[in-house]
Amino acid sequence: MHDRNVINAGMSWHPSQLWVARCVRLQRFLATLVMGVLMAMAMAAPAWSADAQVVIVLSERSTSYTDAAEALQAELVKVGVARADVAQLTIEELSALPIAATPAPKVYAAIGTLAFSQLANRDIKVPIVATLLPRLSYEQIAQSPQRKSTGPLAGVVLNQPFGRVLDLIRLALPGVRKVAVLWGPDSRSQAPAFQAAAQQRGLQWAEATVTAGTSAYPAMQNLLDDAEVLLGVADPQVYNSSTIQNILLTSFRARVPMVGFSAAYVQAGAAFGVYSTPPMLGRQAAALVRNAMLGRALPAAVQFPQEYAIGVNANVARALSLSLNDTQLTERLRQLERTP
Amino acid sequence: MRLPTCVLVLIGGLAQASFAQQSVATSEKDFLQEMPLVLSVSRLAQRLDETPGAVTVLDRNMIRLSGARDVADLLRLVPGFQTSNSFEGDAPQASYHGAYNGYSSRIQVLVDGRAAYSPYLIGSIGPGLQLVAMNDIERIEVLRGSNSASYGARAFLGVINIVTRDPADTLGAKGSISLGDNGIQDTQASLGWSTDKANFRLGIDRRYDAGLAGSAGADRITRLNFRMDYRPSAIDEVQFRVGGYDTQAALGYFNDPGRPQRDRFYDSRYLQLDWRRNLSLDSDLALGYAHARESYEDVFLYPLPAPFFGTVVDIGGYALSDTLSLQHTLRISPQLRLVWGSELRREQVVSKPIYNTAAIQKVDFTRLFGNLEWRFASDALILNAGGLLERDSRGTDNFAPRVMLNWHMVPGQTLRVGASKAYRPPSSYETSGNVQFSTNGVVLQINRLSRGNVQAESVLARELGYLGEFPKLALSLDVRAFHEQIGNPIKSVGYDLPAGTTLFTNASGVSQTSDYVNAEDFSIHGLEYQLKWRPWMGAQLVVGQSLTTIDSADTVEATAAPKSATTLMWTQKLPGGLDFTLTHQAQSLAKLHTARETYAFNRTDVRLGWPFRVGTNKADLSLVIQNLGPSIVDFDNTLFFQRRAYVTFRIEQ
Repeated sequence: MHDRNVINAGMSWHPSQLWVARCVRLQRFLATLVMGVLMAMAMAAPAWSADAQVVIVLSERSTSYTDAAEALQAELVKVGVARADVAQLTIEELSALPIAATPAPKVYAAIGTLAFSQLANRDIKVPIVATLLPRLSYEQIAQSPQRKSTGPLAGVVLNQPFGRVLDLIRLALPGVRKVAVLWGPDSRSQAPAFQAAAQQRGLQWAEATVTAGTSAYPAMQNLLDDAEVLLGVADPQVYNSSTIQNILLTSFRARVPMVGFSAAYVQAGAAFGVYSTPPMLGRQAAALVRNAMLGRALPAAVQFPQEYAIGVNANVARALSLSLNDTQLTERLRQLERTP
Repeated sequence: MRLPTCVLVLIGGLAQASFAQQSVATSEKDFLQEMPLVLSVSRLAQRLDETPGAVTVLDRNMIRLSGARDVADLLRLVPGFQTSNSFEGDAPQASYHGAYNGYSSRIQVLVDGRAAYSPYLIGSIGPGLQLVAMNDIERIEVLRGSNSASYGARAFLGVINIVTRDPADTLGAKGSISLGDNGIQDTQASLGWSTDKANFRLGIDRRYDAGLAGSAGADRITRLNFRMDYRPSAIDEVQFRVGGYDTQAALGYFNDPGRPQRDRFYDSRYLQLDWRRNLSLDSDLALGYAHARESYEDVFLYPLPAPFFGTVVDIGGYALSDTLSLQHTLRISPQLRLVWGSELRREQVVSKPIYNTAAIQKVDFTRLFGNLEWRFASDALILNAGGLLERDSRGTDNFAPRVMLNWHMVPGQTLRVGASKAYRPPSSYETSGNVQFSTNGVVLQINRLSRGNVQAESVLARELGYLGEFPKLALSLDVRAFHEQIGNPIKSVGYDLPAGTTLFTNASGVSQTSDYVNAEDFSIHGLEYQLKWRPWMGAQLVVGQSLTTIDSADTVEATAAPKSATTLMWTQKLPGGLDFTLTHQAQSLAKLHTARETYAFNRTDVRLGWPFRVGTNKADLSLVIQNLGPSIVDFDNTLFFQRRAYVTFRIEQ
């Protein structure tokens, strides 16, 4: 009622006044339109504005990487960094930028091995925080003599600390004394860390190493005779989509549960596993990025994930006569990690 | 000069390509990528304490340590089995709950899921037990009990499921040779290789010995087996198997013109194609086709009195079987799992001497089966309810249901109770066998003239079982108490023909022949148990005992199974890495396969093995002495299993 009166009132202007009013309205409309377009452009654009304080570089624009990047950005925003101060782009997009448009942030965040290795090969003087990559990849890049970047490096890796995995094994399979591990050429370097963690927990181990070009099966057969549980440690020579079939079938027949290192492995047939998802790592990397922004020193050693999830394959567990409950196990593992 | 370089480069390239893995560095992809579902619903085999029946598993290690050269001989270690090492019944036999006659047809034999009984030899499982070389066996699961619902028709009293080794486990070259007493000469070689998506194995072996004491001569088997496992995608698996064996066995008896000493040739060939597709997290589909062919050659001269010369007796022929099967495994909910499927099978037997016609004796079977596994009371109770519906082209319909309830009283202690009905349809020989000997148009004798008035035999089996696991004592115990009511058992009976039908008559001048009829019902009841114990480090003791009573009006039939049979297998690791095995079998009075007299026997075997390495290859030298005691009468009362020793050398990459 009220509005109509106002409209009606507006409609009673003099024709010349109407024309001026229309111009003004038109101008305002155009201005709003232009500003809206600019804002939309600003938001939709890869946001590599030269004054971004943090540049997140993704190895590729697929789900896992974008999830990690988004979580990183969201965490930064939570601690007070302006959204506009964080830019996200892929390593391809970064490489395609003209020199003039090269960003100059306070910190780089690399998501994935490719992004990290390429950033490390650029003349970057600011800190680089790498995440969503295995420890071996991080260390290979960080310690490479060919590295061109000179700023400090930090990383949050995908690998779970052996202590955590062994604690989970002891909680899930209380009677187990001996843990079997199948090392590959890449994962072999982790053997001392594993052995130390196992010894600390009073566990024995049985190991076999698969060398490049040979089959994993003979080594695994010997292990399975002795083993009560098979701990999976990522190495593409040993665990890949073609070998996983046989590893899971053979270990299942031998009634030896496998501990997987990703949700995919647990679903494929590993009895249970502990792993960290991309958002979890993104959030943890955000803390390091924030510290770097504030000029604080970065930790020298690589960081293991603090957040984790435990997955249980109920069907496999039942078939192996194991009673596993993922919520219970998560609860108990967290408790165990809390106590010093 | 450029050509050789090209060739070298090509060879180099091929050599590189043949190395399966290319160097891929660890990256986050290992942690983030999707993995194909491996332990899908059909691969999660039921736990031993949840199977609807008593299962004895003979694994590869036990097979090797037993020193057995044939699967039939190995099965003597399973409670409730009667076995024979003679080739007189065309192949060493194994039967469960009674050796009723020369052919064991009351149990089913499956080799990698394919029914391998012999349609030619009246459904005998002996030939099927010979299909696989001992070194190629991964494990043998013996289900002691009727289970047509899961294992098809003919799983009458039990099922023997032979599972061959996965080609991925047998990559590289392997060989073994055994030499010893009684002319034992067994040689075996196999080669396994793999490509990006497939694994292959080709094996050839030969089994030879001079036969049992009192037998007509040597027995020789030559086998060839090929298997390919191919994974075209993450959700598909294709398995292809082809192979066969040739047997040359000396049969017959001295001074027995009706069964003279001669060589009999029996060949078996098979081809099997299986496709398994993982439809979803909870559903698998399997499609299979199998073709098998047997040929039987047995020719001898039968001397005749004047005015006839001799007549050539030829009891040869061949048989074919084709099977098309479909099976769907579905996890409806965490508590409910369904396996159902359908099978079409055609059996064809051709033998003019045995059927008196060159026409194909054809029987078509159409089967529908299903089993529902329902777990309730928080997994403490598991109910397996299933059935098999079979129609054959001779017009009979049979429905074989099975119900079994497993109760986990406490973790590790399970009680099992159930009942099942199973059928054995009559084989072609039992319905239409027609064995006549004529010369110059004169009918001399008619050994068999089946009149076809025979229907399937049935069994109603009720059982109470117990399975206990005592991990602290490293002991497990499996007990089965059973009552098997056999209805309409098929028996061979003689009958008289009209006077003058045949030239040869019995003492009273009557022409006689024989037929298969359904005889009087009888029942088998008893108790079987198997105990597995690891008393101290490096030792394993497996003790089995079977107490069986056959309640039958036929006194001969009542002795087909011993009242008590005990087996013991003790394996011990000795210092120096040697392994020692002692096997003992004691059986109380029981009739032989084709003799009415009853015999009791003991048999003790020992094996001493020395594993060592030749470079990077695993090798094994062993000495086996079979039957340390006196000779054991086997199959009939003229054949004896005497003591024999042999040495085996085995090597693998």
